[in-house]
Amino acid sequence: MPSTIAEKILARAAGVDVVKAGDNLPVRPDYMIAYDFPGYTDVMFKQMHDDFGIRTLAEPHRYVVFIDHMLTKGTEQEREVHQVTRDWCEFYGIELHEARGIGHQVMAELGYALPGNFLIHFDGHISGAGAFGALGWGVRRDLLEAWVSGQIYLDVPATTRFELVGELADGVDSRDLVHHIIGEYGADGCAHQVMEFSGPGARGMSIDRRQGLCGMAMFTGAVSAVFEPDEAALSYARRVASTGFTPQLPDEGADYAAVHTIDLSELRPRVVLPGSARSDNTRGVDELAGTPVTKAFIGSCASGRIEDIRAAALILDGRKVAPGVELNVVPTSDSVHQQAEREGLLDVLRAAGAQIARSSCDFCFGYQKPLQPGENCISTGVLNISGRMGSTEANIYMGSAYTVAASAVAGTISSAEGVARS
Amino acid sequence: MSALRDYPPPPDLIRGRVAWIFGDDFDIDLVIGVENIKSYDADFLRSKVMREFDPTFADRVRPGDVIVGGRNFGYGHPHYPPMVALRDLGIAAVLAESFSPGFWRGETYNGMPLLTVPGISTGVTKGDNVAVDWRAATVRLDDGTELRGTPPSDRVRRVIEAGGSLKLLLAEHAHQPADQA
Repeated sequence: MPSTIAEKILARAAGVDVVKAGDNLPVRPDYMIAYDFPGYTDVMFKQMHDDFGIRTLAEPHRYVVFIDHMLTKGTEQEREVHQVTRDWCEFYGIELHEARGIGHQVMAELGYALPGNFLIHFDGHISGAGAFGALGWGVRRDLLEAWVSGQIYLDVPATTRFELVGELADGVDSRDLVHHIIGEYGADGCAHQVMEFSGPGARGMSIDRRQGLCGMAMFTGAVSAVFEPDEAALSYARRVASTGFTPQLPDEGADYAAVHTIDLSELRPRVVLPGSARSDNTRGVDELAGTPVTKAFIGSCASGRIEDIRAAALILDGRKVAPGVELNVVPTSDSVHQQAEREGLLDVLRAAGAQIARSSCDFCFGYQKPLQPGENCISTGVLNISGRMGSTEANIYMGSAYTVAASAVAGTISSAEGVARS
Repeated sequence: MSALRDYPPPPDLIRGRVAWIFGDDFDIDLVIGVENIKSYDADFLRSKVMREFDPTFADRVRPGDVIVGGRNFGYGHPHYPPMVALRDLGIAAVLAESFSPGFWRGETYNGMPLLTVPGISTGVTKGDNVAVDWRAATVRLDDGTELRGTPPSDRVRRVIEAGGSLKLLLAEHAHQPADQA
């Protein structure tokens, strides 16, 4: 029976020949991933040990834990949170990756997000693994089910296929594509589904941009997103893999809930109004031109990769961040940070007045330099709900790294095209 | 998670009234206000729940009442306290045109019946009496009208019968030999 990528990955992980959308069955993830966060990992480890009586793991290599949140204050509370995680990981023999960057990026660098792999996490941005032809699914507290039983019951999702053609114009990013998709098809346009990206526009898109796009899948209602693995994905995977992997391509005649064709060359920069990424909050940058900003942020698991930093450097080269604006740039991982330094990009950003911070999740959730009441921030973060980056009385606008950099220079929301002309 | 309440499984037939009808893309955090989404304190949540919608809500809701939503109910970045606040009052189920996946998974884990019932948001009026057979996903009104939704999967049915995923998992997996984990 012809199958989508998601159906093929889930069938393999479930150990059956075929699954189809709507089936409910237990699936064994290749990796069951978490980042340490109070109320999640500490509670889950304690439940495994105290409530379930689990003392040793048969397959500890399937458990992966990152420390990427709460790294920047140096407080006793931080030290305690992380020590609890270290102790549990040591007890169970689980590999712990500490302070190497944002887990959703580091998992790719370490070879967990290989083509055909099935990954779960309590956090939905694991969907960024789709850039490599892996399926990453955020299951919230159901991660515990997998941790204690090695498997998780899931509804096999339907798939919407996106045929991408054309190339993104200068100053336009895959971030603009995700907001375009939400604008066109709604915040539930792919509800409970997987987004499958294909076509020449997909093959022409860099891995970084694929990660940024797939990582935002939840805002279309999707449970995940996945690119057809091509040579770019396979060559990345071969470079980082320490295990074998089985790339999955969709079958001819697979059943799709919908098929949409999008011409990337027609896309223009988008900005999302404070509140959420839903359709009626999505605007062209030009519609918001002139909106003053005090903070600008490039980072998060949906940005801050080398392509995003190159985009920012392109805009900021020879320019200055506007007076009264603070631009913070957070590379997605230490390895991205080092590459950006080697390429001289961070020198360009620093010369423009940007502040570069060590890689972590801390800006994006309002832990590091929280926004103050009345501030307007333009951000590549994943969320702009009230209070997400600090005060509930601050406003968060979201856009691409191009748009954030251009807005930082102008002091008002601006497209990269606008700055390039000035 | 330890701050979450222990709620019993729902009865076979949930009988109550429609306590409120929300629109499409409803962000559940608004039930208590985004500035309050980190509290699990019962008195505090009761003082905040639905205040912005109806200040009498907490006093008039009775156990067994349900809330109704439009399309994509629970959209946004759902936190747990808003549903704790509603369940503390006795809200026994959410009936909606459709649910946002993250909300659906998070609250199903907590054992809350979330029923997808096409036509529900226009088919009932606030205050209507409803009898909800949550396993069959049917909603019967006083006038005999019946709305039919999508029954939960066998696995979700078992989660709800157990009073949440944690209890089901404990029944299935607690104290098993460690080498089976």
